[in-house]
Amino acid sequence: MRKGMRIVLCVALLSSLTFASEQFAMSDADRAMYEELLENNPADMLLAHGSELLEELGGESALAKYLGVSEDALAPYLAGFPRYIVKFKMVVSIDQMLQGMMHDSGQKPYTLKSSEMVNLSSYVKSIANDQQINIDINANEYMKEAYALGKVVFETKRGARGLSCLSCHNQSVIGSILRTQPLPDISAKGNASAATWPAYRMTKSALATLQKRFQGCMNNALLAVIPLGSKEMTALEVYFTEEAKGATIALPGLKR
Amino acid sequence: MQRRDFLKNLGVGAAGAVILPSVSFAADAPKPKGSNALPYKDALNAVTGGKTPEVSDKVSLKVPEIAENGAVVPVTVEVESPMTDSDYVKAIHVFAAKNANSRCIDVYLSPANGKAMLATRIKLGETQEVVAVAELSNGKFLMASQSVKVTIGGCG
Amino acid sequence: MAKRKSLIKIKPKSFTDGEVVKVSFMVMHPMETGMRKDKKTKELIPAEYITKVVFEYNGKVITTMKVWESLSVNPVFTTYMKIDGAGVLKVIFTDSKGEVQETIEKIKPKG
Repeated sequence: MRKGMRIVLCVALLSSLTFASEQFAMSDADRAMYEELLENNPADMLLAHGSELLEELGGESALAKYLGVSEDALAPYLAGFPRYIVKFKMVVSIDQMLQGMMHDSGQKPYTLKSSEMVNLSSYVKSIANDQQINIDINANEYMKEAYALGKVVFETKRGARGLSCLSCHNQSVIGSILRTQPLPDISAKGNASAATWPAYRMTKSALATLQKRFQGCMNNALLAVIPLGSKEMTALEVYFTEEAKGATIALPGLKR
Repeated sequence: MQRRDFLKNLGVGAAGAVILPSVSFAADAPKPKGSNALPYKDALNAVTGGKTPEVSDKVSLKVPEIAENGAVVPVTVEVESPMTDSDYVKAIHVFAAKNANSRCIDVYLSPANGKAMLATRIKLGETQEVVAVAELSNGKFLMASQSVKVTIGGCG
Repeated sequence: MAKRKSLIKIKPKSFTDGEVVKVSFMVMHPMETGMRKDKKTKELIPAEYITKVVFEYNGKVITTMKVWESLSVNPVFTTYMKIDGAGVLKVIFTDSKGEVQETIEKIKPKG
């Protein structure tokens, strides 16, 4: 029954996109109040934990050394992930790069879905706070390929409802109200998802990475869920990151 | 019916017809009550000793008109007071009038706070009034209230 | 039980003696009401929520909060406090299972 109800409600809410959408729109004053919550984001506690975990691995200096950059260049370098890393022979997100670092220093890497890895990789990405996203999809053929694949993943309609990411994130519906929230513009002109994830989700009371959020969305939209760290998932992150290129990184985010 | 067909056939009438029975089902289900359950009137009386607080603009209560999510509703209460040893706010109480236990938080302050303010986040089970009551050092009670509309959590 | 992650934040970060500053305490806590059912087992999840938070500055209690189960998961508590010399701010919480934990922040006014 619960499941049945949930489906009915989803349908009702989806339909509110096309009629009577205005009545649930939030006022600017309300939105400002929610923005104020960022000042005390519960995820700050989790990033503090992530910072301790990085210290155990040798801290920022060890990370910079591992990546072959100077400590001063670390923040802008991190603002360019996902990247093609020669020694991995593949395009990776920050969490997979950290798995490599742990492995190479003789430690058992945290799994991508573990809370340790979410906290650690979120903290590491936050080292790039105030930097602009500088991903370079033309850096090499691998990045070009990843971007092209990411675009396909973004646009391919799948699952029982025949939805793609693009169904809800295209220019003609951006800003429409779905469950009190305007459908976000993922690009740097809008809320630049790649610059504001990892984020604390109030509905889940937890910190999630962009890839975990993609999984949640696929699950809700009845698409088969793509595994974390898979070629397709990393490609999708590349696509989102390119869309948000130039936006200033501000982590952790705080989302409904 | 297949979900796909269902979506395709969806119109205002169809949505309405399907929603109504579900909602009334939800309303019929008994709500579990915790051991702390206390209705708002009783909770208020317990705080004020039966006195009726005076509605005052010295108490500023900030809550959203529409909550994004009933599980995290920001609440800020500020009370105008010099916060000196002879004139200060002793306590700020926050109630959610329709929660089974209407009490949310009771904050006991002293002049060492410098300013009388509380900010936190509460859970609201449904659309309802949020009430802030300030207890002053002279024994007076002031209050402010505002309704918060809680929309359905939905697909989660 | 492992220590719960917690944090004290003071705003502004830099302050002088006598200044009134905003103090926030947050902690990772489930704030279970005891009225929620486990989705798989259909059993009620036992209540587990913070009942009390005490702000203690250089051994003196500044603020006491009596807390009920209707506060959000991973709650945040913000009030003001008047800076009165260097020292230590301790925030102590107790929960309905009798767990007590302390978080400490050094207070260093400048000048």
